[in-house]
Amino acid sequence: MINALFDIISNNMLLIFILLPAFVGLIMLFIRKRFAIQLAVLLLSSIINLIAAYTLFASESFSYVIPFASFGLDIVLVSNELSSLFIMLVAAMFLFVCLYSAFYLKHKKQFSVFMLYMYISLAMLNGAILSDSLGIMLFFWEGLLCTLLGMLLINNTSKPKAAIKALVLSGTADLLLMLGIILTAYQAKTMLINEITPIKIQGFVPTLGFFCMLFGAIGKAGSMPFHSWIPEAANDATTPFLVSFPGALEKLAGFYLAVVVTTKLYDLRPHSTISNIVMTIGVLSLLFAVSMALIQKDMKRLLSYHAISQVGYMVLGIGSGLPIGIAGAVFHMLNNAVFKSCLYMCAGSIESQTSTTDLKKFSGVGKCMPITSICFTICGLAIAGVPPFCGFFSKELLFDAALESNIVFYIGALIGAFMTAVSFLKMGRAAFFGKLKLPEEKKISESEAGMLVPMIALSIICIIFGVFNTLPLDTLINKGLMFEKSFSGWPHSILLVVISLVVLCIAVLDHLYGSKKSGSALNAADHIHYAPVLKTIYSIAERGYFDLYNQMNALFNVFAKICVMFERAVSFTYDTIAVNAALLPGKVMRRYHNGSLGRYLFAALCGVVIIILIFIAVLV
Amino acid sequence: MKEILMLAAICVPLLGAFLIPIFGKAITKLRNALALIFVLTALLCSILLLPYAVADNDAVIHIYLPLGLSIGFHADALAVFMAITSTLVSSVIVLYSFGYIKDYPNQNEYYLMICLFIGAMMGLVYSSNLILLYMFWEITSFCSWRLIGFYRDRTALIRANKAFITTVLGALIMLIGFIGIYAETGTFDLSVIKGYTLPSWIVAVILVGILTKSATFPLHNWLPDAGVAPSPVTSLLHAAVLVKIGLYAYVRLFVVELNIDKVFETIVPVIAAVSALLSAGAALKATDIKRVIAYSTISQIAFILLGLSCGVEVGLAGGLLYILAHSIAKGGLFLCAGIVEHALHTKDMSKMGGLIKTMPVTAISCLFCALSVMGIPPFGGFFAKFLVIDEIVSAGQITLGIIFIIGAIMTVLYLARMFSLVFLGEEKAKAHEGTKVMLASVIILAVLSLFMGILINLPTELVKMVGGLQ
Repeated sequence: MINALFDIISNNMLLIFILLPAFVGLIMLFIRKRFAIQLAVLLLSSIINLIAAYTLFASESFSYVIPFASFGLDIVLVSNELSSLFIMLVAAMFLFVCLYSAFYLKHKKQFSVFMLYMYISLAMLNGAILSDSLGIMLFFWEGLLCTLLGMLLINNTSKPKAAIKALVLSGTADLLLMLGIILTAYQAKTMLINEITPIKIQGFVPTLGFFCMLFGAIGKAGSMPFHSWIPEAANDATTPFLVSFPGALEKLAGFYLAVVVTTKLYDLRPHSTISNIVMTIGVLSLLFAVSMALIQKDMKRLLSYHAISQVGYMVLGIGSGLPIGIAGAVFHMLNNAVFKSCLYMCAGSIESQTSTTDLKKFSGVGKCMPITSICFTICGLAIAGVPPFCGFFSKELLFDAALESNIVFYIGALIGAFMTAVSFLKMGRAAFFGKLKLPEEKKISESEAGMLVPMIALSIICIIFGVFNTLPLDTLINKGLMFEKSFSGWPHSILLVVISLVVLCIAVLDHLYGSKKSGSALNAADHIHYAPVLKTIYSIAERGYFDLYNQMNALFNVFAKICVMFERAVSFTYDTIAVNAALLPGKVMRRYHNGSLGRYLFAALCGVVIIILIFIAVLV
Repeated sequence: MKEILMLAAICVPLLGAFLIPIFGKAITKLRNALALIFVLTALLCSILLLPYAVADNDAVIHIYLPLGLSIGFHADALAVFMAITSTLVSSVIVLYSFGYIKDYPNQNEYYLMICLFIGAMMGLVYSSNLILLYMFWEITSFCSWRLIGFYRDRTALIRANKAFITTVLGALIMLIGFIGIYAETGTFDLSVIKGYTLPSWIVAVILVGILTKSATFPLHNWLPDAGVAPSPVTSLLHAAVLVKIGLYAYVRLFVVELNIDKVFETIVPVIAAVSALLSAGAALKATDIKRVIAYSTISQIAFILLGLSCGVEVGLAGGLLYILAHSIAKGGLFLCAGIVEHALHTKDMSKMGGLIKTMPVTAISCLFCALSVMGIPPFGGFFAKFLVIDEIVSAGQITLGIIFIIGAIMTVLYLARMFSLVFLGEEKAKAHEGTKVMLASVIILAVLSLFMGILINLPTELVKMVGGLQ
């Protein structure tokens, strides 16, 4: 009996990654007001998911086919090096973010619904990563839109802007992905990833297919130009949502697909024009978002712009097409998921105590919240790229790849690193150091242990992944990507390390200068914000001119006006011209139908003449 | 047995409709129940016909008359598929009508026309003869004329006349094409002329009738104006049945039975693409909730036509799947709009907002149906959209594929705008949920939209059989 059950489980293991989370999500919906049971179910299911994911990672590749929708849309699930790596990363991050979310939302009404969405999202993510069929991958991938929309609408139905923006922008990215998938399958003559030989990006169709797929992938990860809902969500959405989606899970999913597109589906050659275009997108995304982060005065908004900017680094690395760039991008993605979700958790921890993340309303909470403060500092240093934290090592790999491709990309990446450091110095000092200031008179203390545990764990990972980077780079990433060359250890170019450290020192000096000039740490970046030229660019950006959502609306608005004009013309034809044309003979007849015998005789005579003429014409 | 089932599917609603006013004079509940039973009978009989159609053991009735004339009915997989699709949604619409129409006059005529309409639809889909097809086609036009003008006010009557005159004129032009076929082949019987290549002028005139009925640009103008009708009527006409008649005729005549010139594989998709984009643009600016959904119908119908006309077999399967998904989801959207209109006594979206708080069931149902129309998984519309675009691209029509994606983005935009204006934001007016029957109806369609995606293997198997793709 047990053996039979074990056989069923092992045979259907891949399907369990989809069905189990969906089932647990439904269970969570029905367990209400019993936090201990909710927590137990959550922990148990997340740990089982993680153990199963590890088992998958440790085992050989295998696949599983289930007849589903015909027309090449059967469910083909494959566990290989890459998919099992990402399944494991998702499972690990899911455990942390769920644990944090559970304590954050403890005893709140939306707990069950939020967890339902979380588990359904996990099912969708697992499905998308394991699917070998591109069509089915899209099914799971695009299905995430529903949970995204649902999560953004929790307690937010009166402020739906972020939700609608997310639906439109992510929906657009997903539709581009759909076109990309169809074009890819059209060229490869198959929907199965494993059967596709990387397609050369030459000519219209391959180029369009590649960019549609890439935009779909990085759009999910929150890259420009599909990014603008994330800062909007920072205003309205709950912190657990930010921790889970823009912070961790969407980045992992988006990046998994980006890796698949650039390594398995398309042949992205280093130094090619396509590679340069992708890297340009990465640098622009990085610079734009980090520039916007620099001027934010709200922790969650600032972090949201960083969530976008870090994707820029990853796109830069993956766009290089170089093994060091791809390994660096995946490592940075992993690091980013760790430190970004921890940073969001820190913001949430402060919010749970002060009821705000607006830096203008509070400051100096470090003494009251020492653990949050330490976690924030570790993750802040990691994202800024300070050694020996994990972010330093992944950024150095990316810098290496950028320099090998083109020095312009390297300079762009360095400017990004400078601005990241400046903005985190500003946020860290304003929030945790200096004199205590709170929005209202009340005592604050450290958040509860349940929220602190994942924050501490993630902070420790930031250190471990830095100091012992062989673990993530060799044991996980190299195995997943099947690279033979190791990129672990201390960066091989001392010159690049020195340049990076100089940039960080300049950032510290700039912060000190800005603080002194403006009189506060919070306004330390004002001299950049209000510098000539930059001031105008910032003003344009703040008015939403770089927002794809606004541009799409404006464009379609013009198109819609033209359509309405057409529609009015058609209506006028039907309602006025056609009606009058139908009534005209009657009106004419009525005018001449006045009872005059002479007129009738004349008409009859004309008729007779016409008939005779016709008769003659026919005879002749 | 199978022939009896086919006749029952046609005759029970068609003839039973005339019993409705008789019972309606005495017991209104019995009248309502009878209307539902008649439509459910058509549904049940069509479902029972399915095994025969799948086994290629079709029900056929053929009576030969002099001069090459005949009376013929044929329940093949395509006919059964269309019959099930239309009666499934129609049954829910009749159920919904119990709550919606209960306070209005002329209910006897309403239920009579609804049943007659569905009976005519059954006759149309099972007909294997062009003249019979034309006769049932005109009965549906007559019924829709009475139903659009249900409220009897001046605007309703003018718009009912507009719909009637447009569709009847289109049908008369189509009749010229049918007569042309008779002149060329000496018969109206589709089973006799199967595989015959039609002259282009005949295809062109028949297309006028089809495009008028399926409300394709520039012959679409009657459809948004028909929004003055009660919501169950608009749901029936715009979502479930009337507009699908044109599509069915296209598939039956130009894909399954007869051959047409290859040039129409370019002309029709281009017309469809223009129609899809123009109506999507109009939907973006409309402020009347039912006009938004009506323009959306024109746009989606054009997409279905695009799939059906691209000349690829699997495109046919995608198109048929789209018909099913669209009927269910769009039917649900119109019914949700009806509940909102019933509660607020307005169709102007600028006067709505925040209704999700007071009408959560309607809001969630509307969202489910909207997501399906948008083509977002796990809802049924996703697979339909994916297959249609896939096949358009497979046919080498990459530009049309891109246009389709632009149209799909616009669909997301206008439906997100509609949902946001009506159900989200600040509460602008006090409202209440619809009656239990009305809510049950929209829940059924919303859940069907969801399950059609999750259990997609069921409709795809059916569609494969219809398209002969096994």
